[in-house]
Amino acid sequence: MTDDPDTVADGGADGDDGRFELRDHTADVAVAATADSLGGVFAAVANGLTAAMCDEVPDTGERFPIEVRAESPEAALFDYLDECIYERDVRSVLPADHRARVGPVDGEWVVEASARGVPFADVVARDVKAVTYSEMELAETADGWRAYVVFDV
Amino acid sequence: MTDTPETREFDGVELRKVREFVWEIPQSGGMNAPARVLASDALLDQIADDNTLQQLRNSTHLPGITKYAVCMPDGHQGYGFPVGGVGATDTTDGCISPGAVGYDINCGVRMVRTNLTYDDVRGTEEELVDSLFANVPSGLGGGGVVEGDADTVEAILERGMEWALEEGYATEDDLAHCEDEGRRPDARPEFVSQKAKDRGRNQIGSLGSGNHFLEVQRVTDVFDGEVAEAFGLREDQIVVLIHCGSRGLGHQVCTDYLRRIEKRHGDLLERLPDKELAAAPAGSELADEYYGAMCAAINFAWVNRQLITHRTRRVFERVFRMDADELGMELLYDVAHNIAKREVHEVGVDADGTAVAEADAVDHEERELYVHRKGATRAFPAGREEVPPAYRDVGQPVIIPGSMGAGSYVLVGGAESLPETFGSTAHGAGRVMSRTAAKQEYWGETVQDELRDQDHIYVKAQSGATVAEEAPGVYKDVDEVVRVSDALGIGDKVARTFPVCNIKG
Repeated sequence: MTDDPDTVADGGADGDDGRFELRDHTADVAVAATADSLGGVFAAVANGLTAAMCDEVPDTGERFPIEVRAESPEAALFDYLDECIYERDVRSVLPADHRARVGPVDGEWVVEASARGVPFADVVARDVKAVTYSEMELAETADGWRAYVVFDV
Repeated sequence: MTDTPETREFDGVELRKVREFVWEIPQSGGMNAPARVLASDALLDQIADDNTLQQLRNSTHLPGITKYAVCMPDGHQGYGFPVGGVGATDTTDGCISPGAVGYDINCGVRMVRTNLTYDDVRGTEEELVDSLFANVPSGLGGGGVVEGDADTVEAILERGMEWALEEGYATEDDLAHCEDEGRRPDARPEFVSQKAKDRGRNQIGSLGSGNHFLEVQRVTDVFDGEVAEAFGLREDQIVVLIHCGSRGLGHQVCTDYLRRIEKRHGDLLERLPDKELAAAPAGSELADEYYGAMCAAINFAWVNRQLITHRTRRVFERVFRMDADELGMELLYDVAHNIAKREVHEVGVDADGTAVAEADAVDHEERELYVHRKGATRAFPAGREEVPPAYRDVGQPVIIPGSMGAGSYVLVGGAESLPETFGSTAHGAGRVMSRTAAKQEYWGETVQDELRDQDHIYVKAQSGATVAEEAPGVYKDVDEVVRVSDALGIGDKVARTFPVCNIKG
């Protein structure tokens, strides 16, 4: 796997075409994201996750790959974000600058992604515990894709 | 002419007033039982301000839910199941729901007594808060008190605080004053995934961040002298409160089982109004595996809080130049907030012996239930065998942390908790403002300065944003929460504490 995945068809995008907003949630935090491509919206939600943990992300760190397979696009999004959190804890890095491609392969939805792992020593960050299915939305729109994900803080 | 019950409606959810502080959402549609909200008018307005009521109603769709689902006075919107929610499901034909426990399994709180008075501490607050902050791991990536290998993690999951005792991090007295003596016998580490164990390895003995904290407090009020004496509390005494959970290990256990249940029990999931309520049918392989894994994560959380206690004792010894025994640093109690436990409760049944809503009951029988408490505290009264011998004659201590500007309460399990709430009460003040709104409303350094200058409360955190997100103004009025608990007799007031210094991740 490379930094710029090319094995999953995703409309030709490299998944960095998205935008996100942090949304109010009483105890937790929600991310609303849009993008031209499915991979783009996955990466945009992950960038929202990063923003929920850290206000200013430095430019340090090496990229690392993330790959998940799941039975549906929603499950793939859930597993991808869970994997970002898992990698954060075991690599001791803040995953940032996410890139992702998402598409169907042999009956499964495959996410081929990467993130830049900012060493914890370089950053002041807060914990986000987990991704949740609560109120999750992932939908195709006239302009591309939108997603809404609540994270447990 | 008959009296019409008082009703209120919030976004399509109608509540009928049962009596003072007790509101009921009647059973309808796909609900398997009614739901109740325990709140004053002021708290009900706050509870109804987000999706708490909708989530509470959704939770009654769980199979086998018994009597009613209950929202505590500090309830607020969570994910799937509301925070402050209690739901009891039958262990034979009901279900167990990871979403109704929450991601932070055995997120909980413990209180450590000292022999110090506030006068002993005044003048040392900055040294104390700096030393605690330097020695108690907190925040993201702060490591743990112990750097664990695979065997260490297995032993903690299996034996809980017994491991801490063997390793010199706990005393016999600590175990005697912890819920379940700090070990869930049903723990099955083999059902905890390798991913979860990987995440836990470098977080053993760490606060984390969010609403987790360590706070030195002084006892300002004693309301029940007899029970306070049994708890070893007196006015002006210094105590330490530690609030945290099972860290990444527990979060991963919940995530893993939500996904496994989604794949295995999709038919049940399709009948539930929220995917986050995913539940495994009682008696299924996944129900048993989740229960074993959750119990192992409960053990991990108890050890987590124990290692922080150990480190806190060392800090106090250095600052006050006395050993922990001389300082009287004994564990008062440790309670869980996010947990499901097999417990036996009396439930109403119909003529066929089927559990039914109280209004339809013709008799009562004892049933074993999975009591899910998510952001709620067990509050057993005197006499329940699960209460440790040290407190069995007075009832279980209940610790209700408030915000870092408002103080906290110690309650005792109330006699009405068993018939009203499956032996439960509130777990804190409960949020009213989102984290994003809090960061727009407050500036962390300003909050810290005001707390120090106006209230003599010393706060130190990894991040100013965390202080802003946890500013006193983002929480409900803890006094009002406790007033409702006390008035309903589910958790009775014993003592009140006020912060001296506080560290956060």
